[in-house]
Amino acid sequence: MHSFGYRANALLTYALTILALMCTIASLSDNFNFPSPSAEIQVLNFNWFQKQPDGNDEVSFTMNITADLQSLFTWNTKQLFIFVAAEYETPQNSLNQVSLWDAIIPAKEHAKFWFQIANKYRFTDQGSNLRGKEFNLTLHWHVMPKTGKMLADKLVMSGFRLPEEYR
Amino acid sequence: MDWQGQKQAELWMQILLLVFSVGALATGYIIGSFRMMILIYAGGVVFTTLVTVPNWPFFNRHLLKWLDPSEAEKHPKPQKAVVSKDKKKSSKKRELDQNHPTVNGMEVPA
Amino acid sequence: MGWIGDTVDSVKSIQIRQLLTQAVSLGMIVTSALIIWKALMCITGSESPVVVVLSGSMEPGFKRGDILFLHMSKDPIRTGEIVVFNVDGREIPIVHRVIKVHERQDTGEVDVLTKGDNNYGDDRLLYAQGQLWLQRHHIMGRAVGFLPYVGWVTIIMTEKPIIKYILIGALGLLVITSKD
Repeated sequence: MHSFGYRANALLTYALTILALMCTIASLSDNFNFPSPSAEIQVLNFNWFQKQPDGNDEVSFTMNITADLQSLFTWNTKQLFIFVAAEYETPQNSLNQVSLWDAIIPAKEHAKFWFQIANKYRFTDQGSNLRGKEFNLTLHWHVMPKTGKMLADKLVMSGFRLPEEYR
Repeated sequence: MDWQGQKQAELWMQILLLVFSVGALATGYIIGSFRMMILIYAGGVVFTTLVTVPNWPFFNRHLLKWLDPSEAEKHPKPQKAVVSKDKKKSSKKRELDQNHPTVNGMEVPA
Repeated sequence: MGWIGDTVDSVKSIQIRQLLTQAVSLGMIVTSALIIWKALMCITGSESPVVVVLSGSMEPGFKRGDILFLHMSKDPIRTGEIVVFNVDGREIPIVHRVIKVHERQDTGEVDVLTKGDNNYGDDRLLYAQGQLWLQRHHIMGRAVGFLPYVGWVTIIMTEKPIIKYILIGALGLLVITSKD
């Protein structure tokens, strides 16, 4: 009855149950972190702006991203996935979200940064509606935990406008 | 392992694991290291295994004292013929009651 | 001498009862696993509430062998979300991140483009021939929770079936031989 194997089995079951409980608590402890991230994006220059042969508008620009996301890191954070998306409305589509640039931040030390980059992914519209279009640039972040619930949030920066003419 | 030893082993297993998990959680949270929490807990599990799983001598301090066979014969079991008319279940139960010893007033699981 | 016959009978009945108890307890294990799975399906609204990551295309976020918990809600799909989708003509669902969303004004339908964090280009190469966008019906759910390493058990079992049979055999033996 109360053999070596029986005791080992009981211990393993109990230990794993407690481990699962610990991971749950660790994941819940993220709720006590109230982050105060800050970010700013500036559009420096429109490099080019064209209508592609397939009829879709495409634009390329250079932007300046400054952000301090250190407060998002907790002890249960594996990494931060951040990306900048352009958001705008067209007569055809109620919402267009186009991801322009992304990065993975592996540690808290790298979470305060300054980048000057051109868009990494193509900023293409579905159709030809981009001339003179107003758009938002949104910095999104996804907190990837070591275990448990994934968190996501964003900072919206509005008031950007594309040129009236192709160039 | 004797009856008392089994009870103690089980109790110690639960207490040790709980203490280690709470300690690991607290340490991990305070120094902000998830890895540290896992390491401390893993160490705790190994320690608990070493303490409660093998059949250590200190779990065998309350050995059963079985009656000597010659002694047992002097106190014969009650006649089964009396209960044979009852249902099988009840006869079996009574048999069990007679054959299982009790130690230190502790109930023995049937 | 009637009590000898009684004893023999009671011994026989014990064995039958034990056999029945074992069968019932085995049935309980199987059915309770089924109940948990179906309940998860109901709660999360996804046809497979838990998936195992099989490729390294989302590294370093998700590694091979990690487990993802999915949730399928009515909320609209937005960029940055990690979705699990099925491409026509492919059996294995893919877990990747949404990088583009175009939502129709009139019908509310969405066109979605995905990309693996660790992949160089977007997923148009993985989609069916000539498919440019994913629609709502391709998407099975979005990832909400994460558990590392646990999925290795299933990966090993699907890739080395022998281990699975050995494990099932050993468990069966344990259940049959163990007394209560």
